[in-house]
Amino acid sequence: MKKSNILLGLAGSLILISLVAWGYQIYNGLIVTNMRNSFSWGLYIATFAFFVGVAAGGLIVSSTVYLFNIEKLKPFTRIASLSAFASILGAGAMILPDMGRVDRIWNIFVYPNFRSPLVWDVMVISAYLLITFLSVYVQILPDRKKEGSRFLNGWTKAHSQEEVEAFSKKWSKRIALVGLPVAILIHTVTALIFATQASRGWWNTAVLPPDFVSVAVASGTALVLVISLLAVGKEQFDQHKGAFQIMALIVAGSLVVHFFFVSVDLIIHGWWGSREAEEILSLIFGHYGYLYATELLLPAFTMVLFFTEKGKRSYRALMIGSVLLFIGVFAHRLMLMFPAFNAIPLSLSIPGAGIESWAYPVALGQLQEGMPVFVSSWAYMPTLVEYGVTLLPFGLVLFVVTAALKMYNFLPQKPFM
Amino acid sequence: MRLGMVIDLDRCIGCRSCAVACKSHNAQPPGTWWNRVFTPGASFHQAAVGKDGALQMEYLPVSCQMCDNPACQKVCPSGATYTDERGVVLIDYERCIGCRYCIAACPYGVRQYNWEDPKKAKARAGYEKGYEYGYPADFRDKDGRLVYTPNRPVGVVEKCTFCVQYTSGGEQPACVKGCPGKVRIFGDLDDPSSEVSKLVRKRQTVRLKEELGTSPKVFYLAATKLIR
Ligand code: SF4
Ligand code: SF4
Repeated sequence: MKKSNILLGLAGSLILISLVAWGYQIYNGLIVTNMRNSFSWGLYIATFAFFVGVAAGGLIVSSTVYLFNIEKLKPFTRIASLSAFASILGAGAMILPDMGRVDRIWNIFVYPNFRSPLVWDVMVISAYLLITFLSVYVQILPDRKKEGSRFLNGWTKAHSQEEVEAFSKKWSKRIALVGLPVAILIHTVTALIFATQASRGWWNTAVLPPDFVSVAVASGTALVLVISLLAVGKEQFDQHKGAFQIMALIVAGSLVVHFFFVSVDLIIHGWWGSREAEEILSLIFGHYGYLYATELLLPAFTMVLFFTEKGKRSYRALMIGSVLLFIGVFAHRLMLMFPAFNAIPLSLSIPGAGIESWAYPVALGQLQEGMPVFVSSWAYMPTLVEYGVTLLPFGLVLFVVTAALKMYNFLPQKPFM
Repeated sequence: MRLGMVIDLDRCIGCRSCAVACKSHNAQPPGTWWNRVFTPGASFHQAAVGKDGALQMEYLPVSCQMCDNPACQKVCPSGATYTDERGVVLIDYERCIGCRYCIAACPYGVRQYNWEDPKKAKARAGYEKGYEYGYPADFRDKDGRLVYTPNRPVGVVEKCTFCVQYTSGGEQPACVKGCPGKVRIFGDLDDPSSEVSKLVRKRQTVRLKEELGTSPKVFYLAATKLIR
């Protein structure tokens, strides 16, 4: 297949560009990013959260098959697991360039601080990586035996094809069921990294973890949907219509839940009318209004589209809806950062001067001509280097998915239908 | 032992001597300030604020509040941030992986990151080549953890250490010594006869962002005007 070679080439160049950019960053320090002391997490962490989100789809789709016995989705459990494995690999890779001292990353494993939500996240993400890998592995096992592939496959030699197939079936189900709670945990724990911080009003809400789960179910299922659509192509679309409709419904349904959480969150932030909350609301509706509108409107459009008969049944509508949703969810992840870091936690009221909220300036960590050293907000915009580094997970996901689809059959009934 | 500090805002003249002493004694690279002094409400330091012609000008020095419930330490995945036996929150420069979670967690904006190699930063800022300032030697705690070094490694977080290189030998921190108004009083909060304990007991004190439950060990005396 030529197309897959082009995609592999593209993936390879994305990875290469990102590695060069990362090398440049390691050589110069994170000064080449636009992050500074007052705005200390940016595009990298947002992208990380995005990929954790889309990694959900795999086990959500496979476990729906087993829990609710939805046979129509069955042909797609392999693609689902593959997309989950690729995404969580991308998420894990994205976190590395954000570390100022990636060379000491082993300190997390040698001296883990179990009170840190970051350590919890490392644990659940590693578990998820392993589970999704095993899930892919056991599902393609029978095919690989047929082909006589030997890599990581030696032990199946002593067994017959039927035995291997029965093993694959049994373990696919078991792994999907064990994986589901872990899938939910990776979103919960990733959200807890933020939600536990009372210093940042925008994050510090109990609705953040369940909302992360709902967004993850939506965007993760959309990723499975897109990869499946691409894999079956327009020609065989009709044959699998039923499955696509179910996925579209899962996406739309979880977006309903998401918008419910967004609404209660906004009400709780706004109703009491504290200065801190007002500052956050003025940031999301004022300064970052466009980004926030993207976050709300695009997924809302997808939600409505996927509920309509026409939207559910058309290849193009499903494709467009999913892509718009990805853009919306990415904006959502970026919006985790902007209001949180541009509302300085140490703000004071000076009643005698009629000032309700005054942000105590923070030192940037850089001295440069024409720029103040102390700021109370920072107009963070990623630099070219940051964009370059951020290509890493995109390249990895594209590479893993394309290579796997090329090497193995991820759509079992394709050959004889 | 629980080391703490009392800052008497009535006496502060906003001269920023403490910030300068802190910066130079602790070899902070350009753009990095462990200790800041500002005029709350004003967009410039030492500009009066007020309404209807009634003006006021107060100063507020802020450095690490040495929280008894330090969010920075709890989030630190590698245990680089820790509290030593004297109650001082420190950072092990050899352990920190530079994840910057602690910067997001600290409510006081005191944590500073080494976005680039301090030597490069100094050269870029136009400091004379070979000009070094600050306490010249490494300082390790009793377990050998590197908590002070004149040129910090790139990619690690730093902040006020209560001048660990001086105070562990019984001396006073640089800001306390450098303050012309004797605004800062440093001592053991566990010792009832220490001056800090007496002040905390007898005077009305304020801690910053008390409502967050961080339990700072830096207390402000604001007898005449309360600052939240
Ligand atoms: S003020 Fe910030 S850096 Fe200092 S102990 Fe408290 S949370 Fe940590
Ligand atoms: S940046 Fe360093 S000190 Fe701060 S949380 Fe990460 S490892 Fe700990």
